[in-house]
Amino acid sequence: MLELEDVRKTFNEGTAHEVRALQGVSVKIEENSFTIIIGTNGSGKSTLLSAIAGAFPVDHGRVRLAGHDITRWPEFRRASLIGRVFQNPFSGTAPNLTIAENFALAARRGGRRGLGLAITSKLRCQMRDLVRELNMGLEDRLDTPIGTLSGGQRQALTLLMASWQRPQLLLLDEHTAALDPKSAEQVVALSEKVIARDRLTALMVTHSMQQAARLGDRLLMMHRGKVLLDLRGIQKKRVRAEELLDRFEEVRRADLLDESAAEMLARSYV
Amino acid sequence: MSLLIGALTIGFILSLLALGVYISFRIFDFADITTEGSITLGAAVTAMLVVNGWNPLAATAMGFAAGLLAGSVTGVVAMRFGVNRLLSGILTMTALYSVNLRIMGRSNIPLLNEYTVVTMAEKAGQRVFGTAEMSLLGWEVSVRDLSLLIVAPLLVAVVSVLLFAFFRTNLGTAMRATGDNAQMIRALGGDDRRMVILGLALANGLIALSGALLAQYQGFADVQMGIGMVVWGLASVIIGEALVGTRQLGFAITGAVMGSVLFRLLVAVALRWGLNPNDLKLITAAFVFIALILPKLLRSVPGRQRRVASA
Ligand SMILES: Nc1ncnc2c1ncn2[C@@H]1O[C@H](COP(=O)(O)OP(=O)(O)O)[C@@H](O)[C@H]1O
Ligand SMILES: [Mg+2]
Repeated sequence: MLELEDVRKTFNEGTAHEVRALQGVSVKIEENSFTIIIGTNGSGKSTLLSAIAGAFPVDHGRVRLAGHDITRWPEFRRASLIGRVFQNPFSGTAPNLTIAENFALAARRGGRRGLGLAITSKLRCQMRDLVRELNMGLEDRLDTPIGTLSGGQRQALTLLMASWQRPQLLLLDEHTAALDPKSAEQVVALSEKVIARDRLTALMVTHSMQQAARLGDRLLMMHRGKVLLDLRGIQKKRVRAEELLDRFEEVRRADLLDESAAEMLARSYV
Repeated sequence: MSLLIGALTIGFILSLLALGVYISFRIFDFADITTEGSITLGAAVTAMLVVNGWNPLAATAMGFAAGLLAGSVTGVVAMRFGVNRLLSGILTMTALYSVNLRIMGRSNIPLLNEYTVVTMAEKAGQRVFGTAEMSLLGWEVSVRDLSLLIVAPLLVAVVSVLLFAFFRTNLGTAMRATGDNAQMIRALGGDDRRMVILGLALANGLIALSGALLAQYQGFADVQMGIGMVVWGLASVIIGEALVGTRQLGFAITGAVMGSVLFRLLVAVALRWGLNPNDLKLITAAFVFIALILPKLLRSVPGRQRRVASA
């Protein structure tokens, strides 16, 4: 189970570039649930995932995962519990290392890395079976540098690597946004399959309302560093993409109102 | 002939420097200038221990260990304290200048009359060949030169194989991935900062080992001997990459060694043709500069034509 308690994060505090990216987020995510996160650009979705993954220390609040208080854990230590796929397909793999070497690194996620041979024949068999499922023919190219593959292929491999050791939590941050439509579809299908098969607890950020409506068993909508909408159970099941779009429109109008109100106030008082 | 043998031997000894530079510059993409201090450090530590009657092998190992330490200092300064990478190396290098002078007590320590690894190799050679002079393909060569020409490549081969094996272990693979994509290794639970510190330690260990052997070969340790060594090592790495044409691990290691040997041969030939030794560093720097910008130049030429064509 993942538990966030009043998590806050402000970037560049006290400067002209101050951004209050998370303004008190509290959520509990049950084990084996698949949660979709949507929200306008800059609403704090990526910041939320980074706060969970430990890319930076949060200013306030606590993060608990699988019975550990991980608020003070460095990023690499949290990786023993968390698998991640990034928006940028190049972020999740080491380009000059071969597919097999990348997988060997993923095989030891969170474990000790000593002087044992990284790629044993047993491990090679396991990764071949794993990669074969992709139907991309990559199982015969385990010794090619991963940097020579397409973004879609790399993202699919990253997803396999992130979920391989059955993490307590899988974080997917718009992981298909940078792909062409066909690869994006493949990677989404793969994500669905892996999450369902291994009964993973997953958080997936997406900008696609279709995906948001169709996938997952819970939906969070973020706005200005807060969770604005939290649908689950039957509510989540029933929600349609159009309704979500309507909610976005509502939020946008409210924002405009806020802005024009501020402007009006500014005009009359300054 | 002895000029040729000398160039080859120095080439092999300095290939350990090239391997160190390959690790920091290529594997970790860390422009580590500690090199210039650590090569002298290895020489200084080993020279002092040899002069004080240590077994030359143990003294050389201590030179290597001193390099490990120097590299980890730069690593800790850069990765734990967040000091700019280049500056971290400059700080350690500058500090090492004083440290090296302290260790040696003066600026130069002669080793010609000491019992060193070179004497050991020479003795072994004499036992095997039974003479002090012999002819090789019709050339008169001293057994000393010949034994060193056999021992140096053997040692380098052992180090290269160990290095290759190390970089294929779990730890070594994680270290290579760190230079490639630090974000990725963090997401997979590797402490990227620790990896960089370890890598710099290893690189400077090899560089100091190179210095320890060089001092024993040339018969002295000198506080100035590190000047320009980064660029020499880089030149070797670049030549090696051109020779093997790939940055794949095994090839890259072999390439760095080949590059170092070829580089020394080129230098020997140039000096023989009357190149002023004082110009050597200028020419090497110019060579590395050209090698670094050449790929960009080659890429931009068709680009420029296209731009002209479309205008
Ligand atoms: N490292 C950072 N430094 C400064 N500002 C940041 C940083 N990361 C994100 N932000 C800002 O925080 C806000 C939220 O960003 P983000 O979480 O990336 O939004 P999104 O919901 O689009 O993923 C944005 O205004 C963004 O500019
Ligand atoms: Mg984002």
